[in-house]
Amino acid sequence: MVGPALAASPAGGVALENANPLIYRRQGERPVTAREEDDELPDAIDDREIFDLIRSINDPEHPLTLEELNVVEQVRVKVNDAESTVSVEFTPTIPHCSMATLIGLSIKVKLIRSLPERFKVDVHITPGTHTSEHAVNKQLADKERVAAALENAHLLEVVNQCLSGRP
Amino acid sequence: MKDSLTLLSRIPAHPDSRCWFLAWNPTGTLLASCGGDRSIRIWGKEGDAWVCKSVLGEGHQRTIRKVAWSPCGNYLASASFDATTCIWKKNQEDFECVATLEGHENEVKSVAWAPSGNLLATCSRDKSVWVWEVDEEDEYECMSVLNSHTQDVKHVVWHPNQELLASASYDDTVKLYREEEDDWVCFTTLEGHESTVWSLTFDQSGERLASCSDDKTVRIWHQYQPGNEQGIVCSGTDPTWKCVCTLSGFHTRTIYDVAWCHLTGALATACGDDAVRVFEEQPLSDPQQPTFTLTAHMARAHTQDVNCVAWNPKEPGLLASCSDDGEMAFWKYQRPEAY
Amino acid sequence: MMAAGGADVDAGAPGSRLQPWERESAAQEAAEGVKAGTCTILDVVETLGSSLENGDSRIRARGLQMLSEVLLQCYSVLQEKEVTHLVLFSENRLKDHHTVIPFVLQGLKALSMCAALAPGLAVSVLKAIFQEVHVQSLLQLDRHTVYSIITNFMSSRETELKSLGADFTFGFIQVMDGEKDPRNLLVAFQIVRDIIVKGYALGPFAEELFEVTSCYFPIDFTPPPNDPHGIQREDLITSLRAVLTSTPAFAEFLLPLLIEKMDSDIQSAKLDSLQTLNACCMIYGQKELKDFLPSLWSSLRREVFQTASERVETEGLSALRALSTCLSRSVLSSDDEDILESFLRGILQDCRHHLCEPDMKLVWPSAKLLQAAAGASLRAYYRITSSVFPLLVEQYNKHLQSSQRRTILEVLLGFLELRQKWDPEEEDKSPLLCSKGALCSMVFSALVEPNVQLQLVGIRVLTFLGLLQGLLDHLDVARLVDSLAQFILHEEDSQTSLAAMEAAGTLTPFYPEIFSRCLVRKLSEGLHSELQEESSQFQHDRCLQALAAVSTHPSIMKETVPILLQHLQKVPKGSMQAGIHSVVSVCQSLQQVALQCKKNAQNYWYFHQAVVPCLMGLAVQAAMQENTHTVLSQVLLKEDSLSAMVLVISAACMYLSPELAAQSVSKVVPLFLDGELSFLPGNSFPSTFQPFQVGWDGQHPVATQKKLVALLTAFVCALPRNVPIPQQDRLLRELLALSCSCDCPFTATAAAKCFAGLVNKHPAGPQLDELLGAAMNKLEEGLNEGPRRSQALTLLLWVSKALLLRYHPLASRLTDKLLVLLGDTVLGPAAGDGFALLMADSPDVLGKSCHADVRLMFRQRFFTECVPQLVQGFHTASPGVKANYLKGLSHILNHLPKPVLVTELPTLLPLLLEALSCLDRVVQLSTLHCLQPLLLDAPLVVSLHVDTLVGKFLGLTESPAMAIRIAALQCLHALASLPTPVVIPYKPRVIRALAKPLDDKKRLVRKEAVTARGEWFLLGTPGR
Repeated sequence: MVGPALAASPAGGVALENANPLIYRRQGERPVTAREEDDELPDAIDDREIFDLIRSINDPEHPLTLEELNVVEQVRVKVNDAESTVSVEFTPTIPHCSMATLIGLSIKVKLIRSLPERFKVDVHITPGTHTSEHAVNKQLADKERVAAALENAHLLEVVNQCLSGRP
Repeated sequence: MKDSLTLLSRIPAHPDSRCWFLAWNPTGTLLASCGGDRSIRIWGKEGDAWVCKSVLGEGHQRTIRKVAWSPCGNYLASASFDATTCIWKKNQEDFECVATLEGHENEVKSVAWAPSGNLLATCSRDKSVWVWEVDEEDEYECMSVLNSHTQDVKHVVWHPNQELLASASYDDTVKLYREEEDDWVCFTTLEGHESTVWSLTFDQSGERLASCSDDKTVRIWHQYQPGNEQGIVCSGTDPTWKCVCTLSGFHTRTIYDVAWCHLTGALATACGDDAVRVFEEQPLSDPQQPTFTLTAHMARAHTQDVNCVAWNPKEPGLLASCSDDGEMAFWKYQRPEAY
Repeated sequence: MMAAGGADVDAGAPGSRLQPWERESAAQEAAEGVKAGTCTILDVVETLGSSLENGDSRIRARGLQMLSEVLLQCYSVLQEKEVTHLVLFSENRLKDHHTVIPFVLQGLKALSMCAALAPGLAVSVLKAIFQEVHVQSLLQLDRHTVYSIITNFMSSRETELKSLGADFTFGFIQVMDGEKDPRNLLVAFQIVRDIIVKGYALGPFAEELFEVTSCYFPIDFTPPPNDPHGIQREDLITSLRAVLTSTPAFAEFLLPLLIEKMDSDIQSAKLDSLQTLNACCMIYGQKELKDFLPSLWSSLRREVFQTASERVETEGLSALRALSTCLSRSVLSSDDEDILESFLRGILQDCRHHLCEPDMKLVWPSAKLLQAAAGASLRAYYRITSSVFPLLVEQYNKHLQSSQRRTILEVLLGFLELRQKWDPEEEDKSPLLCSKGALCSMVFSALVEPNVQLQLVGIRVLTFLGLLQGLLDHLDVARLVDSLAQFILHEEDSQTSLAAMEAAGTLTPFYPEIFSRCLVRKLSEGLHSELQEESSQFQHDRCLQALAAVSTHPSIMKETVPILLQHLQKVPKGSMQAGIHSVVSVCQSLQQVALQCKKNAQNYWYFHQAVVPCLMGLAVQAAMQENTHTVLSQVLLKEDSLSAMVLVISAACMYLSPELAAQSVSKVVPLFLDGELSFLPGNSFPSTFQPFQVGWDGQHPVATQKKLVALLTAFVCALPRNVPIPQQDRLLRELLALSCSCDCPFTATAAAKCFAGLVNKHPAGPQLDELLGAAMNKLEEGLNEGPRRSQALTLLLWVSKALLLRYHPLASRLTDKLLVLLGDTVLGPAAGDGFALLMADSPDVLGKSCHADVRLMFRQRFFTECVPQLVQGFHTASPGVKANYLKGLSHILNHLPKPVLVTELPTLLPLLLEALSCLDRVVQLSTLHCLQPLLLDAPLVVSLHVDTLVGKFLGLTESPAMAIRIAALQCLHALASLPTPVVIPYKPRVIRALAKPLDDKKRLVRKEAVTARGEWFLLGTPGR
């Protein structure tokens, strides 16, 4: 690293946990197919569609999306439209990332707001990529705690910021 | 098993929100519901239809997680994510908030009245269980703060005829408490569930306790007094509770509630797979190793997670359920004839 | 007293009893007197005498105020002697009580504008001011007066002022020191800039002058709301920057300041510093920069490496380019240290190694820094690239993942693109030439990788290499062309093959022989293969596309056009459908070739002569042969084929010069009117061509020939407006007759369009009036009754449009007819749809590209005339036809500019809401499209109807038509941007209702539902 270490941060002078993360290229927009434009043919909800919902979520710390940080990848998204299940694994940028729960919460909230209500949504940490994997997974699976978190103005604000489009 | 559970009616109890919990009054004439819309609704039957008798809207700032009727039926307690518990007094059709119990650090998850009506228990994400004493003037005083759990306490329930309290927690355990020299103590911890225990229910006798969990199982615990015939070891004068049966393989997602009918002995569950199920103990099974059979399975009881099941205390087989879809449903349970 | 100019002034206490307006009028009168010569200024002074010398400073102040007001009005007529007298008097008064000073200054300001100011007085005034007045303790307005005096002297007495030497500069420094008012600062900055630029002596005061201005840097100023002065932050920034960057003498002070401010946390300070640095590089040389280069570089590097702001990055890069440009400018004498070299060396040292980590964050900032430095001059470019090119090659070979390789190639591409900034020059010393072999083998290897993205960058890199003349040798180019041919003919991914075609099009003009030999021949062979399976049809299409794409050089075009024309006559065996497809594909390619050669008149004329007669000949021959049923003639006469040919003919005519166009049209019109076949190629025409002949209708030969009127339409309507059309009147009457008498809608429409296209360009006058009269009669007749009412409606629509576009007075008579037809149970719906035709930009005969007469505001005109009638018609119409009116209305509104709509919205909105409930889907969709932007632009009006809108939009999200569901969801999304208190009551309902479209069977609908619902969730919550 050339030059002085990163000191400024969007969080107001506090050093980022992972100041120089790897950055990955964004996928392009999904091209619209002729089939999709046909009024009659149904389009099943597929992995890419789920991935498109979450890839543009902003990271709470960096001015980057979860896709750019490789926190979410299409291969870690599994959807079964017929059985109404969605499972997403996300990979925190570093194994002790304290934002993991918040990132997971953002993904979960985005999916709950965006998917038909029939879906059961599971969000987990990619196995072996975080020191508190079990604890984070358990919190994310507890819908009562998720509901309570979203009634907390501060948390809701952070989550909404992660979910609102880039300026 | 087919047709053992039939839908009587379905009502959008808390539209645009989720319905968390239902509670019958002791005479079975009123049903209270609560939900994410911060309101409590009281439902009564007019003719064949269940209609909303009143809406209790002004008490809480956040989600109302659970409600509980006092044994006399004149009071209703509500537990909310706003960290308070409200006590509502019934005057004819109307309800008035007569007390707000503060003290928990954050979300209150459950509230329950003791059979005597003199004690009230609450629990919270702050890991504590509080026991409150009620006096003649509707004054509530905290008697005891129990910090036995290491995590979020999800549910509290009283023994049907003794001053004995049970709590279920995110720490995967169930704890039982009794009074000892003006204070309350935890005398035993029931371990066995592999994830959050969401709810508990005693059978009519109080000999048995059922617990349901995120590990997709229901466990039946049996009470053994000191000096029992089976030779189960007890410490001192306290009874021992032992898991005598595990219902596994029936549920495909988290089980949020379990309810034991005190009239028929049927055990109902509310599950995150949208289903309502009813189990019954096989008539001839060994009480020390009972076998439970699935006697009803309503796969799409609701369009989303089922949060609560509640048996009517007076009308055998009348079951109410509610769901994240904001609806509540009334079911008629008929024991299959093969039984 | 009255003699003193008629001013009725009480000398004892002038103004003491006068109200301000009275004083003003007294001054006015005195000034008029002076100007008229009825009195002199000294008379006025004398009159004021006692008050000017009164012991009470308030009375003196009033006297001086009066005097200055007179002076301000009549300074231009004063005599030198008078001026001298007044100046000396005023200078003396500057020593007076401070309450008097402002009026003295006012007077001096007036005097400073006098042409009759004796030499030496300017200096004396300034000296007096510098000495006697503590400017910064004056009020804003009075300080402004001082600046005005100085400005006035500077513009009129420059030499005199310069004689003051550095004292003037020093005096001014003291005057402005501590100035706070933005209005004054703008003037003061201008004075400082003039001091420097006009070469006033700074003496030892350069640093002081810098200090007294630079203390405002960076400008931190927010204009108060409703500021009447209208000074913006930007004004001050620009003005101060002009001062700071006006002289290299400030460099030693300015550069450290800029470095300090770049390091601050405030983004605006960073931006200002970077822009200022950029500006001062324009006048600095390496002497000024030298000592600061290491610090400047490290600040710039930090900004680019670490910033989250794209603006800071952009400014940082452009400042770096400016530095490098500045250093490149300095002439290098042999014993000078080459500062550019050492500067660039430092940059390379800090950035080069990041290029070795193509998946790390810093690779792009490093590449951008290097490119910014390299972009300054060819010398810098050579220096940087001679180091970077070998490195990139090495790294490419070291990294095997395609994403890494792609990044490396993209970085390389950035450097290659830069090379275009300078003229080509002998490439013998160029680092490109040195690395050429390695670069080429790297890029060629990228092309054979399976990764599409990598191939795409590879193709672009090769294109740039090919554009650098003399870089690639014959073999390289041949290899390049082979690779492109490979992609075009065999690559399944259409992105890659399209990129290859584009590259071929770009490079063909540079290497025409090789492209002809290696690509055109292959493409031509590709077309020869038998068309049987679908795969070969796919390949044929590719070849046709590619033939068009490479036709960017005259010699190539002369090869490809005949190939394409020949292919047109080769009808594939198999289905009719495949034949039509083939004709349409060839025509698309021909159209593209036409557009590519339109700029070169010679090539375009070649194209026109080669293609138009050929197409017409084929069509005419087919029309004559049709009863003999050859497959080719059947295929060519299908409407899809004819429509494709129409586009080619149109494209081949619209760019002709009037002379050539006249030459060509003189052959085409006789072909259609008189069957004159001589200009068509080939000579075996079995019968006569008489498309306008009134034969037995429905008889085959005549009906098919008539269809070819579409080709005539394409030709004559594409010509420039001033091209004479032979037998125009006869032609127009034939067209008019055909449009109303023909059963075939294709032919009738073609005739109507041709008529309309010619009418639109027809010069005004009796001939046109007569023609239109005939058209009106035809229309009356045709619309009344009979089997061809819909043909008459088509004619009505096209003629209306032709006239509407040119503001012809008859247009409204025609549109009135159209409005009446909305109430017609049979023609009404088509008339409603017709409004879309009237309002839309016409892509063909009535479009600008066809030289039609299109007035700018025709839509607004039509809107104003038509909408009241439409609205009234709607209210009085019977229920069965109401929808037609709404359809018409929504088409009109949909094409109107938003500002017009917003003003009309309050009256129109109720009707639009009604249109939303209309069952006609076209009306629904068009109304939604019309409403969506209005929700964003006219929130107040829309808010009044929010309840209805929410309900209607939610209802339409369940429409059977996908497009309507999408549009309704977009409207719901837009609704969320209304003021929160207006919409928040609907939040639970909308969120609940939008759960359903989240499960729509169509993905595109779900996508809109997700966006809209997400926005409603954010409504009224923190963090929105």
